[in-house]
Amino acid sequence: MEKMVRFMKAFLFVLMFIVGISFMTLYPVHAQIPELKIGIGIDADTLNPQEQTTTLVQNMCDLIYDTLFYQTPDGKLEPRLATGYKASKDGLSYTITLQKGVKFSDGTPFDAKAVKLTLDRALDPKLRVPLRFAIAMIKEVKVIDDHTLQIDLKYPFAPFVPTLSLTICSPISPAAIEKYGEEVRQNPVGAGPYILKEWVKGDRIVMVRNENYYGKKPTVARLTFKIIPETATREAMLRTGQIDVCYKPLPSNVASLKADPNVTVEMPLSTRTIFMGLNYQKGVTQNKLVRQAFNYAVDKRAICSKILFDTAVPMNGPVSSILFGYHKMAHQYEYNPEKAKELLKKANFDFSKTVNMRTPQGRYLFDQQVSEAVQAYLQAIGVKTELRTYDWPTYVAGLLKPIQETELEVFLLGWGPLILDADMGLYGQFHSSTNPPKGLGAAHYNNPEYDKLMDASRLEQDPKKRLEILKKASEMVWDDCPWIWLHVEKFVIAYSKKIKGMVVTSTEKFYPTYIRME
Amino acid sequence: MFQYVLKRLLSTLPVLIGISLLLFFMLRMLPGDPAQVLAGQMASQEDIQSIRQQLGFDKPIFVQFGLFLSRLIRFDLGRSARTQNPVLEEIGSRLPNTVLLAVAAITLACLFGIPAGIISAVRRYTWIDYLFTSMALFGISMPVFWLGLMLVVVFSVLLKWLPAGGTGSFKHIILPSFTLAAFVVAFITRMTRASMMEALSQDYITTARSKGLKEQMVIIKHALKNALIPIITVVGLQFGLLLGGAVLTETVFAWPGMGRLIVDSILARDYPVIQGAILIFGLLYILVNLVVDLIYAYIDPRIRYDGRK
Repeated sequence: MEKMVRFMKAFLFVLMFIVGISFMTLYPVHAQIPELKIGIGIDADTLNPQEQTTTLVQNMCDLIYDTLFYQTPDGKLEPRLATGYKASKDGLSYTITLQKGVKFSDGTPFDAKAVKLTLDRALDPKLRVPLRFAIAMIKEVKVIDDHTLQIDLKYPFAPFVPTLSLTICSPISPAAIEKYGEEVRQNPVGAGPYILKEWVKGDRIVMVRNENYYGKKPTVARLTFKIIPETATREAMLRTGQIDVCYKPLPSNVASLKADPNVTVEMPLSTRTIFMGLNYQKGVTQNKLVRQAFNYAVDKRAICSKILFDTAVPMNGPVSSILFGYHKMAHQYEYNPEKAKELLKKANFDFSKTVNMRTPQGRYLFDQQVSEAVQAYLQAIGVKTELRTYDWPTYVAGLLKPIQETELEVFLLGWGPLILDADMGLYGQFHSSTNPPKGLGAAHYNNPEYDKLMDASRLEQDPKKRLEILKKASEMVWDDCPWIWLHVEKFVIAYSKKIKGMVVTSTEKFYPTYIRME
Repeated sequence: MFQYVLKRLLSTLPVLIGISLLLFFMLRMLPGDPAQVLAGQMASQEDIQSIRQQLGFDKPIFVQFGLFLSRLIRFDLGRSARTQNPVLEEIGSRLPNTVLLAVAAITLACLFGIPAGIISAVRRYTWIDYLFTSMALFGISMPVFWLGLMLVVVFSVLLKWLPAGGTGSFKHIILPSFTLAAFVVAFITRMTRASMMEALSQDYITTARSKGLKEQMVIIKHALKNALIPIITVVGLQFGLLLGGAVLTETVFAWPGMGRLIVDSILARDYPVIQGAILIFGLLYILVNLVVDLIYAYIDPRIRYDGRK
């Protein structure tokens, strides 16, 4: 009998061991998620990564195409379709090595020729490539061998390799370009973890897992992007489990979503700064003291907490703190209406004049309300203001007028660098070459000393020295105040509490590729 | 009758040409550059100019209009500036959804509005009349956006009976069609009530009653039939409007219809899509009016369109 009991015990132990092992082996199978439903506000216009300007659609393109490099949320550069790079000493030539044995989802081999074709297309002026300016430094792309490329630049550009992490540089299958021509925008073929399965205009975009993806197999088999323009509906659908992810919920509802035990809210600081541009060359804001007074007059903390429900933080440097090259400024323009009045008095400000303010409506988070708050703060120090509201196309047409024609005095705008480097902010908004109509540096900031610093920063290959130059430039522009330095937005995304391992970036992107469901 | 229909259809041509002419020049008077919107705020002037050329917006305005007309004659509405898809394809992907929603909403509105109007007229100045007229007033006064969100909160979030948005099943259409119907039903109820009250005060109703006809027969066969013309006019007009898209309802319920397409296109200054969508909307409106006119003739034998007296 005892033998029998012992045998049974041993048998049970072995059985449990086998079952345990089986569960462990089966775990990855169980970890597969059949579908993830993502609620988004807008439909894609094109899924050609080179035609895109919308971050959300670039995000979708990243899932289909994959990028050469990838900037992690903390700004580090990771290889993806490229494995590494070497820069020449003069910074004018980069050798890029590529992954071997990778195929696009249509079976076409991924090689240096495919990357060259992609970059050549992005540089072709006959094609519609809105963000071409971001790679305008590329002079020529040469194929060295099947998996090595050489990219020559027109001028040294220190943040060139992070630039290669942009969606615009994502390799497109040459066979797809051959087959579909420009219709590749509707028939995207890349080497990314997902393949476009279905696109019902205005309703949904469905992607399925690329079973031949060169990287780790994605855990989600199917991604459904549901187009739900109304934010309140998106949130309701998240709460009822009809969708798993809610892209950009309303700031006013963030607190209640956070309180929901079934919802996770992530809100990393974004690269996007929101500011009130002050015309540097024309009108009352020409005077530096007036510009500084306006900065003291506005309570940015109150705007962030009362209007934006803490989905933004006040700027304490001219760019977002997550960018390489950011420096917190020693002197801050804390809310001080008395000091503002003093400065205006010192500047002999004409209080009988009405200052024209402009704002877009619906382009940025509570843009009109923020402008109205700034208007109230300026009026509180005795400045007469008139605020006009425009829809975006009309607004941007007004911003782009050259200094002789512009009527801009005080205007709200946002600027979000695409890579985690301060260049696109400090150069893209304040270098005199970006003054309208050439660029959207609509404050018309023009400071030759500053230009010299920014030109030097692009040439400098040593990151430490470059940081020093960017610091000097930041201090200079911060003191000159071509903007009322308002706030840096946070990128808000809410998703089911069951989801673990979602990657959310400061460039307002998210990657559900390797999530787990608990 | 056939001649009349043909004549009406032919008469739509100058109307449509008029619409396209007005639309074409009015759109170009709007401030804002479609190439700039497409290029995004960071693009260089060279790239914006290149996009302008690709879209043909760099040509003189009369040349653009000539090209637009020559394409229109070939039933080609051009390509969307935003997506580069043929405009007909863009409209074709949205129009069936809009028609479906409009039909569902108008059916619901008629099913409730006509009986409610009849009861209100028959039982005038009683509690039920006040109830229905108050409901009609409520329907007209309630913002569609608010009603839609309230329905989502109650039926999707709290009760979890119906989906909050999207398409794909019968359940998906219930909330948006109800929201739209609530607005339309108010017009139908009020018009039915007024029209029925007028009909019920006519001498032929007294005659019918004195003949000893049942009250139900008097109301349905004699009063309603004569009161139908203005009701059909209202239903036709409302249906025509709904075919143009109901942007607020479509937005709340993530319904991919024409309303959202038109608004998105206006915000992006996508001229070809705006022109195409408004033209199709104009055509549908004219057709709905024609159908309404033909129904008049069916209901009232005194109305004839074939020239006979």
